[in-house]
Amino acid sequence: MHSIYARVNNASALWSTCVMVLLGAVALSSFLFNADPKGDLGIVSLKVYHSKTRRYPFKNEEIGFVKFNLSADLTPLFNWNTKQLFVYLEAEYASAQGVNNTVVIWDRIVRSKEDATIDVVQKDKYRLRDLSGSFSNVLAGQYSLKYNVMPYVGVLSYGEAARTSEPIEFPAARDSVS
Amino acid sequence: MTIQELVEGRIDFKGQKTADDIVRVVLISSTFLSFVIGFVFSSLMITMSTFALCTVALSLVVLPPWPMFNRHPVTWSSVQGHSQK
Repeated sequence: MHSIYARVNNASALWSTCVMVLLGAVALSSFLFNADPKGDLGIVSLKVYHSKTRRYPFKNEEIGFVKFNLSADLTPLFNWNTKQLFVYLEAEYASAQGVNNTVVIWDRIVRSKEDATIDVVQKDKYRLRDLSGSFSNVLAGQYSLKYNVMPYVGVLSYGEAARTSEPIEFPAARDSVS
Repeated sequence: MTIQELVEGRIDFKGQKTADDIVRVVLISSTFLSFVIGFVFSSLMITMSTFALCTVALSLVVLPPWPMFNRHPVTWSSVQGHSQK
């Protein structure tokens, strides 16, 4: 502590420890906020069409088109340590062989408390397709709205905000009207 | 003071003890204070800016060789005759 350099060395050592403790306390404070918001999700329509695969234009496959009605109030999830929410709509179904599949068909990034109410009637953003290329061997599926809370400092946390009340069958594929 | 003396910033031993105490007290209490203030106002920005302000204030107080750190200079005993070999 005899020179400026020595004082800088000494003070910065304790300062970095204090910063780590402060950030650790902020990360731990996230566990005090336990919000569990719930919303409503309804499927307006689900249609399955024959189409070409995106990558190989000579191959055929079946694509599902979902229109959904979604309303959820996610404002309780915003505390002082929330940076953004990643909200996504998943289609969950099992194949006839018993393999479970989950496909994300719509998502949204919510960056502030003011944008946290979702009230949309929309169609899916991403393709709903099965890996086998066809929905004929597939049992009825449920749709769920899940969210991922991303903090400024700390651990990611996940939750489910809405779910369809009963499973919805995949209709037989038809040719699109041209 | 010469430039070298300013850049070196030497302070006496009592001043070093005072500076060490100030650093420890200010850093630990500003950690606690900025967490509490930010939690009350529910804003991480307030936490980080109070901590940064406390850091800047601390460095202004402790780093330069202020006269208050030089109030107790070392008293050397007077020169005595050479001891006979």
